[in-house]
Amino acid sequence: MPDIFINPPEEKKEAETPTPRSFEPEPKFKKHKAPGHTHNPLAAYCYLPDKVNFETRESEEKVILLLRQHPITLVPKALIALLMILAPSILSIFPILSFLPVNFQLIAVLFWYLITTAFILESFLTWFFNVYLITDERIVDIDFLNLLYKEVSDANIDKIQDVTYKMAGAVRTLFNYGDVLIQTASEVPNFDFLAVPRPDKVATVLQDLRIEEEQEKLEGRIR
Amino acid sequence: MIPIPGTLIWGVAKGFILVAFFLYIIFSLVVVRQVQLMTETLEVGFEAQLKTISYLHLAFAILVFLAALIVL
Repeated sequence: MPDIFINPPEEKKEAETPTPRSFEPEPKFKKHKAPGHTHNPLAAYCYLPDKVNFETRESEEKVILLLRQHPITLVPKALIALLMILAPSILSIFPILSFLPVNFQLIAVLFWYLITTAFILESFLTWFFNVYLITDERIVDIDFLNLLYKEVSDANIDKIQDVTYKMAGAVRTLFNYGDVLIQTASEVPNFDFLAVPRPDKVATVLQDLRIEEEQEKLEGRIR
Repeated sequence: MIPIPGTLIWGVAKGFILVAFFLYIIFSLVVVRQVQLMTETLEVGFEAQLKTISYLHLAFAILVFLAALIVL
């Protein structure tokens, strides 16, 4: 008796998976024209940065994205710093320190400027070293919350389970920044990239990397 | 009640101010060390400038301490 139903030959699954953007080394001239690529070391969003290196980076690992909080988040602190700088000149109208001898008044003003310097330096360093990195193998969160607290956590790209980004509020929409929330199956379950520029692009890059990682797994090219 | 001489009050105040400035020097040393450690953790091509800023901050703290020592 002839077969009633014969399974059709399986189609290659590769055809179903969308082709990810390649993160293979690109020629320098092409990379330098890529949108988001910059040589500014203070940039909050840098695609394929040139000089970025971190402590736990493997020799073949390539940094795809470097992210910091959007510079607009520094505005409140910058305003406070400006007020602190101007305070002695403004307050000179009111004789607050007049009960002190002149030499003590001078030292009091110097002391005030020391505190101002400490505030500016601490704010800048906290912003500068609080960095989120996306490499072709993992995501790295370098937290530098204050001068005495440092935390570095990472998770492999294939451990990412869910990526959500949100942009809420007028300022965030205007300056195009928001939060990227990443859920992972690694030891650190949540990675929150807070107030980063272009969250939609960050989510796209992560999505592309996840697809590429899946393809690498299927092809057995895992490092 | 024995009256406290003014020079004694200002002498004590000077002592407190010098201790505060000394503590600030220690704080700026912590900043220098922390910048060194962080630039080892993360390199972005801005390390030399950051280290210079932290050393300038330390120098400023020492200068203010010396100024307080001389002026007060």
